[in-house]
Amino acid sequence: MSITDVSDRLILAVPSKGRLMEQTIEMLGNAGLELRKTGHARGYRGEIVGLDMVDVAFVSASEIAWNLKTGRAHLGVTGEDLVREQMTDADARVEFIHKLGFGHADVVVAVPASWLDVRTMSNLDAIAGSFRREHGRWVRVATKYLNLTRAFFAAHGVSDYRIVESLGATEGTPLAGTADLIVDITSTGATLVANGLRILDDGVILKSEANLIASNAAAWHTPQREAKRIITSALRGAVV
Amino acid sequence: MQVLNAKGRANPTYNKTVILGPSPRITIGGGWDLTCSGSGPPGLTPPSTYDIEILETFMTAETAKQFEALEAQATGIMRVFTGAGFEAVSPAMIQPAGVFLDVIGEALRARTYVFTDPDGDELCLRPDLTVPTCRLHLERNAAPETPARYCYNGEAFRFQPQSADTAHPREFRQAGIESFGEPDLEHAEAETVATIIAALKSAGLNDFRLRFGDLGMFRALLRSVDIPERWRLRLRHHFWRPDAFRTELQRLTEAPAGLMKSIPADLQVALNPDDAEASEAAVQTYFEAEGIEIIGVRPVKEITANLLAKVADARAEPLSQTTSRVIERYISLQAPADTAATVIKDLAREEGVDVADALQTYQRRLELLRRAGVDTAQAGFSAEFGRSLEYYTGFVFEVYMPNASTLSPLAGGGRYDSLLKAVGAPIDVPAVGAAIHTERLLAAVSGAGR
Repeated sequence: MSITDVSDRLILAVPSKGRLMEQTIEMLGNAGLELRKTGHARGYRGEIVGLDMVDVAFVSASEIAWNLKTGRAHLGVTGEDLVREQMTDADARVEFIHKLGFGHADVVVAVPASWLDVRTMSNLDAIAGSFRREHGRWVRVATKYLNLTRAFFAAHGVSDYRIVESLGATEGTPLAGTADLIVDITSTGATLVANGLRILDDGVILKSEANLIASNAAAWHTPQREAKRIITSALRGAVV
Repeated sequence: MQVLNAKGRANPTYNKTVILGPSPRITIGGGWDLTCSGSGPPGLTPPSTYDIEILETFMTAETAKQFEALEAQATGIMRVFTGAGFEAVSPAMIQPAGVFLDVIGEALRARTYVFTDPDGDELCLRPDLTVPTCRLHLERNAAPETPARYCYNGEAFRFQPQSADTAHPREFRQAGIESFGEPDLEHAEAETVATIIAALKSAGLNDFRLRFGDLGMFRALLRSVDIPERWRLRLRHHFWRPDAFRTELQRLTEAPAGLMKSIPADLQVALNPDDAEASEAAVQTYFEAEGIEIIGVRPVKEITANLLAKVADARAEPLSQTTSRVIERYISLQAPADTAATVIKDLAREEGVDVADALQTYQRRLELLRRAGVDTAQAGFSAEFGRSLEYYTGFVFEVYMPNASTLSPLAGGGRYDSLLKAVGAPIDVPAVGAAIHTERLLAAVSGAGR
C-alpha cells in the first residue's frame, strides 16, 4: 500500500460494542459484506473482506456522529437520535442513506403519570408558568438530549423550563426528585411505566433507528465514491 | 469573526509552513483561514489542486484597522453616554450561569457558551450586558430602588448556527445604557431613546427609522375586556409567540368544551369547581383505583386545581366574537407613531373598550420624545412588535436602516421592570435600557451591508 492511497481510502465507522455492533455486523453480513477485525482481536480496526479501499473503525456509538460531523469517517452506522442531537443542522452536514431496521428507539417527553392535568405539550406550557410561582423554580427536564429537547420545546412554544443534564438512569430522576419530567429514549415504554411516567400524547420527538449515514465533510475522491456505491448498493439489496 | 459556508475548488498557493493533515488550515491572507479536507497526508508534496471544502472560516480577530475603527466609534458613543449622565461600568465577562439561565430560559441558553470550571461551578460567557449590569447594581446598592444610570461598551457572546450571516457574529460588542429606579417611567424611556439616537448620530448615522411597541397598551386592552383572569394571563403569556397566541385565541373563542376530553371520563363528573375539597378527594380516589403513584413535587391539590380550571374553562362561555375581534384588530395594528394613538382611540371607541390611561401614557411619552429632540415622524408603531427576549415588560423600541436587506436592528431596548427581581432584588424596580450593536453600526456608517 503506497502512502498516497491513504487519502483515497473510505473510512466506515461502526459501533464498537454491544447489541448495536452485533446487529451492524449481521446486517452487513446479510448484504454480503463480511466485516473482520484486523490486528488484535480487542483492537478497534477492521476491514470488509474483498473491499480493499475500505477501512473499518470500531467507534463508540455516540462518537460516530462526531466522526461524521468532522469528516473523520466517510460512512457510519449509528442512531438518528445521536446524530440529530450532536448536529443542530444534521441535514446539511450528513446524508441519511438507509434506515437499517434495528436499534429502534423513540425519543419522548414523559411526565409523572400523576400529572393528570398534563397530557400535551401545550398543557405542559400551561403549567410551566404556575409551577414557577408555586415552587419557586423552573420546571426541570432531565435529559441527555439537550439540543433535541430545546428544539422540540421551542417548536411547541414551551420556554419556561430548565434542563438538567442526565447521563444515565434518566427515568429515575422524577422519582429521585432531581427533575420533574424527562426526555429520553424508549423502545417498549416499560421502563417509563415502571418509574411512574407517562409519554405525552404529542410527546414523541423522534422515532429513531440505526441508519447508514454519509458525511458531507469527508473527502470524497473517486475511489471513495466508488466504495460508497458498492456498499450502498449491497445494502439496498439486503435492507427492506 | 465570520462564518463562511462554501464548497468548491480552490487552488491555494503552496506554503511550506502549512501542515497538511486530515483537515489542514491554510492561511490565504486578509485574516482568513481555510479549513479544508481532501488533502494529502503529512510529509507528502501536496497536489497542486485541492478539493477544498470550506467548513468554517472564523475571523478570530478583526484586522487592526477594523479594531481601531470600532474602538474609535465606541469612544464617541461612550462620550455621549457619559455626557448624558450615565456612569461607565465594565461588568465581568464570565458570569455565573445559574442567574443568567433563570432569567433568560432555555431558548437563549442554547445560544450561551456555558462551561464548568475546575471547582465544578457552572459559568457562562455573558450573552448580553444587561443582566451583568443588573447584578452590578444589586451588588452596589443594598436598596435596589436606588436610582442609578449606567453605560457600557463590551463584548457579548452567542452561539450561532453555521448558516448564520455576518450580521450575527458569535462575538460582538454591545454599547448600551441602563437606567434603574427612575420613578417617572415615560421620562426615563424618552431619555433612553434620545441618548441612543444621539450616540448613533455621533457615529455618523443620519438616515434611520424607529419602531415602537408598547406592552402596557396590550395589557390595558386585555384588562378592559370581560374575560376570566386566567385567560388574560394565558394570552399575555402567549403574546411573545404569535402562532401560539392565535391558536389560544381561537381555542377560547370556539370550543372550550373540548377541554373536557383530556380529563379521564371517571373523573369528569366528580370534578366540581365549586367544591375543591371534594374534587381533591375524587382525584385521590382515582389515583388509588388506577394504582398511580404521586411522583415529584406537585401535590394532589395543585393537580386538582389545574383540572378544575380546565372544567371551569370548558363550562365557561366561549370568548365572544367581539372580544376576539378587538384583540385581533389591536394586534395587527401598524401605524405611524404620531397617529397611532388616534387609530387606537378610534378602535377602542368602535369596540367599546377603555384604554384611556394607556393612551395618555403613550401620548406623554411621545411628547417627551419630541422634547428630547427625537424626530417621531421617522417612527412607526407596531402593536405586535415584541422582543425575542421575554424580559421586556412595557415600552420597546428599535432602530433600523430604512433600506436594510436584513431585519437585524442596529439598536434596540425597552422597559424591563421585573428583571432586577429575577436577578435577586426583593422587589420589582423600574428599569429601562437599550444597546447598540456596534459592528452593525460600523458596517452601516461605512457603507458596507447596504
